Amino acid sequence: MSARDRIDIDPPYDYPAYKSTILRSPKQPLLRVAPHPMEATGPVFPRKFVTDSEADLTTWGKGAPLGEKMILTGRVTDEDGAPVRNSLLELWQCNSSGRYAHPVDQHDAPLDPNFLGQGKVLTGDKGEYRFVTIKPGAYPWKNHPWAWRPAHIHLSLFGNAYSQRLVTQLFFPGDPLLPIDPIFNSVPDESARQRMVCELDLEHGIEEVALGYRFDIVLRGVKSTPMGV
Amino acid sequence: MAIRTPSQTIGPFFHVGLKWEAGEKVAFESPGGRVILTGRVHDGAGNPSADALIETWQAGPDGRAPVPGSAARVTGYSRAATDADGRYTIETVMPGACTGADGKKLPPQIHVTIFARGLLKALRTRVFLAEPAAIKGDPLARAAGPRVGTLIALRDAKDSGTWRWDVRFQGKDETAFIEI
Ligand SMILES: [Fe+3]
Repeated sequence: MSARDRIDIDPPYDYPAYKSTILRSPKQPLLRVAPHPMEATGPVFPRKFVTDSEADLTTWGKGAPLGEKMILTGRVTDEDGAPVRNSLLELWQCNSSGRYAHPVDQHDAPLDPNFLGQGKVLTGDKGEYRFVTIKPGAYPWKNHPWAWRPAHIHLSLFGNAYSQRLVTQLFFPGDPLLPIDPIFNSVPDESARQRMVCELDLEHGIEEVALGYRFDIVLRGVKSTPMGV
Repeated sequence: MAIRTPSQTIGPFFHVGLKWEAGEKVAFESPGGRVILTGRVHDGAGNPSADALIETWQAGPDGRAPVPGSAARVTGYSRAATDADGRYTIETVMPGACTGADGKKLPPQIHVTIFARGLLKALRTRVFLAEPAAIKGDPLARAAGPRVGTLIALRDAKDSGTWRWDVRFQGKDETAFIEI
């Protein structure tokens, strides 16, 4: 067993403080089986799969979206520090008032006609990526009394192998809602939770235009296999 | 070794960011026998899960990993959100037989990743597109033991190109999920 297996990095399936897990978490243990050869391979996204404009969520509408403009940069690497190159990174989020451009979102906060909240990029040669967006707002979600999600950005990554696939959320430093958010706190280990908190990074911001935030993402290694197989 | 970034739920609003044009149609460079894989996703109370996302990855008809095509599309991979009835439908081709670590041919199977509101991390499994007799020697079929039936798609009686496979997060016929 390697060091990383001794730390619970991922949350459990069954986490009753997040109510939706109650009927959706499997009760049987996961099967351990020798990896299938296709798991070490993964989809290759052609450069044409994304356009440059999809990295900037603030130019989608006719005018600028409301809110605090921010530039999100970071690197995607694997556990061994190797860059994850030419890999699809998708992002979605609510607007600055905490409302998603989604028909199911019933939150009584205004939609922003200039903000869709959807972006995608392919990582560069060093695993680097850059998005321009606005800081999302907090929103209520009915899970329990005073349930308000801390500001967060949803991120989806493919890595370079099927086994590296990850969907996660980015949070902001110093958010007072973090200690009471069951989704953030479903990750048992403190240092693993801190992996999901971005850092203010003025160097990559634009003075008087946009604050910079840095968020590095670490995927599992391509060769790692389930314990005991 | 660096600490990995933990998984978090996809939430109920993932359609905002994860919609692909014709995402439920799997593209390949070379054509193969047409297959529809369809079914429903249920929670532990037997209710349809209307906000799940099914993703599939598979070998091409030649049994090899898909090669990148010339189009602006991804090959071999699909993505389908469930509808109000919890139903997903994927249009693909019959995967060829891959060669396992022991050199033996593996029966046709599709790799499935399931995301949903209420899933703090993805569920992974594989579904067989073959008769039960044809999968007996497969390592996953052996590991699943009496639960193997939850991993076998059933051929539609009227349309032999359509295969039905339901996912159950919990309950009597809970789908056998695998650790990856
Ligand atoms: Fe959210």
